[in-house]
Amino acid sequence: MNILKIDNLCVKVEDKIILKDFNLEIKSGEIHVIMGPNGTGKSTLTKVIMGDSSYKIVKGKISYNGKVINDMPVNERAKEGIFLGMQMPLAIEGVTNADFLRSALRAKEGDNFKLLSFIREVDFLTKKLHMDPDMIHRGINDGFSGGERKKNEILQMNILKPDVVLLDEIDSGLDVDSLKIVGQAVMDYYKERKPAILLVTHYQRLLDYIKPDFVHVMNNGKIVLSGDSSLALTIETEGYDKLVGKCDE
Amino acid sequence: MNKLKIYGEDIEIESKDGVEISIGEASKFLNVQSVKIKVLEDTDIVIDAKDVEIKLDFYINVLQDVNVNVYEYKHDGNYKFQYKYYLEKNSFLNIEKVNDGDEIKEMTVINLNGEGAKVNFNLKTISKSDEKYNFLVYHNAKNTISNIINNGVNILDGNLEFNVSGFVSKGIIGCDINQSARIINMAQNTCVIKPNLFIDEEDVLANHSALIGTFSSDEIFYLMSRGISKEESENLLTKGFLLNGITYYKDILEKIINKYWR
Repeated sequence: MNILKIDNLCVKVEDKIILKDFNLEIKSGEIHVIMGPNGTGKSTLTKVIMGDSSYKIVKGKISYNGKVINDMPVNERAKEGIFLGMQMPLAIEGVTNADFLRSALRAKEGDNFKLLSFIREVDFLTKKLHMDPDMIHRGINDGFSGGERKKNEILQMNILKPDVVLLDEIDSGLDVDSLKIVGQAVMDYYKERKPAILLVTHYQRLLDYIKPDFVHVMNNGKIVLSGDSSLALTIETEGYDKLVGKCDE
Repeated sequence: MNKLKIYGEDIEIESKDGVEISIGEASKFLNVQSVKIKVLEDTDIVIDAKDVEIKLDFYINVLQDVNVNVYEYKHDGNYKFQYKYYLEKNSFLNIEKVNDGDEIKEMTVINLNGEGAKVNFNLKTISKSDEKYNFLVYHNAKNTISNIINNGVNILDGNLEFNVSGFVSKGIIGCDINQSARIINMAQNTCVIKPNLFIDEEDVLANHSALIGTFSSDEIFYLMSRGISKEESENLLTKGFLLNGITYYKDILEKIINKYWR
């Protein structure tokens, strides 16, 4: 059982406080969804968990399996099994997906890295995710559409096999067919490995494929409302303003 | 495929195909030698230079409707080379250069003399000492295109400078001028990029970018978020930065990169 725990976390970027006394606990096999209006700190939360140095933790702690990881380097967090599927994955010219993934797997597996099984797995995943099989030889996300970039994040997740999966708006930029492919791929991964999943989304539509155990609404840097999957449907029909207003009352 | 091997003071033409090549008498006083190449038909020219002890002037004339690829690799030693290219109507010149010398000084003059002529220039250098590259790109005819890309990684005691100037006179319409220069500075010394566009015509498309620095924190974060160490991330980015766009000397460049970053 892996446990990611966030206690009273306050985070600032430059001089602005983004997360305020944020608390959350996620365990293996749980799917948590974070929703909320723009600018409430949802993406910040995922980046801080991953260790982005642009954000400064001013109070509180992030712990993973009892170990505080506030100061742990980004790559060490990844090696511990934390993965962030980004909202806007970067394109990096010249560094091929193959080199990138091989380096990532070698960092994780060391001498146990097996090239042949890596090639087979990439081949299987590109077919499953309806991706161009040549993408592996192209630069990271170089010339990829928004949807292809998101699929590439899911491919990387499947290759690296993390225990904690953070997915930041993985549904944005996806057409209906791609949304189904990505949603099902995430659920397949969940069924196979039972990771802890933290999903940031604005829309209920992704939850047609990924079934959450908990839905949280964030506002002004903290969770203001939590519930089960029915909360996402309520948000869809009533909107954030009404719900967040109710919480303030 | 044509191959010129320039080692020390010797210039050897290993094969010749679709070109006329003449090697001038060396000037004892100035210690300058000239190589004149007239490209008559579509072909490739490979230039391999090592420890060249003389100054060299290249004159390369690409005839009408001819496409030519020039692949050049300089290694070891100090270089003072000058290149003058003359492109006739609808000709296309593609240049890929890999430099791994010591002190390098280059002057490149590109004359796009015929309508529709196009040049792609792609330089990759690993600068460890003084390196200075000057470019003058003259769009002398309508609808000519120049894409000048200079990429360098500055290490050890390197000083790297790119000066690129593009010229379009009034009446030379429909030209497309692109300059891109980027230096990854991993040393303490100063690097310089001077991008200049001298354009006296409105009907021109012009772009230039110049960047000196290290890799962006977002790029490093992305790679590290997959478990790759900071050092290995920088190695990967350096490799990608230098290899991107290089074909003929790709394997050699990869070996050079591994020499410095492994």
